[in-house]
Amino acid sequence: MPIFEKSSERSVTRAIISEFAKDMENFANTDVIVIGGGPSGLVAARDLALKGVKVLIVERNNYLGGGFWIGGFLMNTITVRAPAQKLLDEIGVKYRQFEKGLYVTPGPLACSKLIAAACEAGVSILNMTSFDDVVLREKNRVSGAVINWTPVALLPRQISCVDPIALESKIVIDATGHDATVVKKLEERGLIKTPGFGAMWIEKSEDAVVEHSGFAHPGLIVIGMAVSTTFGLPRMGPTFGSMLLSGRKGAEVAYEHLKGK
Amino acid sequence: MSTSKASEAELGRIDLFRSENPDSVRLDEVKEYLTGLFPSVSVRILPFVFSRVDRSTEDKISAELARARMKNPDVVEQAFEPMYGEIEYERRTIAGKARVGGVVYDGRKMGSILTRLLESGHSFETASIMFTDRLVSTYSHDDLRHHLRTVVFGFPCIISLPGVVEAPAKSREYHVLKQQLEMEGAGELALVRLRNALKDEFIDYDDPRTIEVLKGLSLQAVMFHLTLDPFCEDRDCRLFNAHWQTDLIRSQISAGRLCKRHTKLISALSAKPVLRW
Repeated sequence: MPIFEKSSERSVTRAIISEFAKDMENFANTDVIVIGGGPSGLVAARDLALKGVKVLIVERNNYLGGGFWIGGFLMNTITVRAPAQKLLDEIGVKYRQFEKGLYVTPGPLACSKLIAAACEAGVSILNMTSFDDVVLREKNRVSGAVINWTPVALLPRQISCVDPIALESKIVIDATGHDATVVKKLEERGLIKTPGFGAMWIEKSEDAVVEHSGFAHPGLIVIGMAVSTTFGLPRMGPTFGSMLLSGRKGAEVAYEHLKGK
Repeated sequence: MSTSKASEAELGRIDLFRSENPDSVRLDEVKEYLTGLFPSVSVRILPFVFSRVDRSTEDKISAELARARMKNPDVVEQAFEPMYGEIEYERRTIAGKARVGGVVYDGRKMGSILTRLLESGHSFETASIMFTDRLVSTYSHDDLRHHLRTVVFGFPCIISLPGVVEAPAKSREYHVLKQQLEMEGAGELALVRLRNALKDEFIDYDDPRTIEVLKGLSLQAVMFHLTLDPFCEDRDCRLFNAHWQTDLIRSQISAGRLCKRHTKLISALSAKPVLRW
């Protein structure tokens, strides 16, 4: 007797297409689009989804998690400063105290649990999908994202002239890391002028990233390392606590805004 | 500032304004120190100065603070239009809804915002010292760039709490080892170990020695108000202008006293705290 139930190729194909098409139709108009599925984007999306907000993550890679799999020097130990370990508690990640206020945990464990927690909270995900442009509405308010398949963006234009599609949302969150891709798109249009990285070396900048997480432009919230680029804060090393708490702060700001509408 | 002449003014009061985070520093110890040196002068502790910002001035002050950011250390004063997000952030800091840190502000621009906030009822008879959790810089015409500062002297004087950690340079040994670790791609744990190994050589965040440093810096601010000359060349005097952390620790903690010349001067000023300029 075979292990698996019998099914045909056409049923498998139909299942993939019909479910994905249903999802895509659903994505066309969401509350929040998070561009970037690294630690800050995952936390923001999870927190919003847990509050009943319709949220979609657009991730250009096949895998989610960004740099959260690995710590400094390709060593996969993640360090988290208090109070960010409380978030690890919430998603069931075990860790140990390295010294007072500093905790360590394996990157693969923390990252996979965070991805699972976001999915379980009801976050929708479009991976292998690249952000292409912003949708602008009245007074240049950001109101959505233009996206395309990542492979299309990687191929020469003459063999991949595939037009992108646009998704509408009430808020877009830029969680694209140091690149700050969404913010840079606004800068290309002359709507924002970022100062670049902090000109002076300052050792303590984790708080600044968290506290600056919020609206950078009407309709656009920045979180994670994109905050550093947008506001010219000092570049940081692999300090994941601030990424997690920045995502949480961004979600709070987004939720307050949505609630006020 | 009122129109009273500095040459006729007698210092009657020192106002110590708390920083954005009221728990950052135990100002009662600074008050006690200054009262001990100037018994005839009344020393008050007042709340964070931005608590004076009301709804009518909130937009203006938020935008001015955002414009006060120092974005290019090589330019004396850079004019720029702040971003929406920067103004919103400053609005949150004024309302006490966001902590400050990680951003450098032009000390002169900050000073002019604070002077206007203090405008009513202040005169040369009052020395105002603002503590802040913000980093501040001023431009140096010696090497043509901005430098982080512990104190920005003026009316009021601004004392930057993170400036105590970040402004005076750490030892060469610290920087060489840190650079070495960073080049090797060492993570946060290695840097934490380095800081712990060399912790006696510099004032760090949440360092219990900070309060002693702040007493000395506050005295420098009072001396600026009285004489326009806050510094001493003696490395063992609390009025020494320390550019290195080791000198800061030596002048404010290891020695922790005034030199003979300044002991005499402060004793004279204590008896008659008249502005000498």
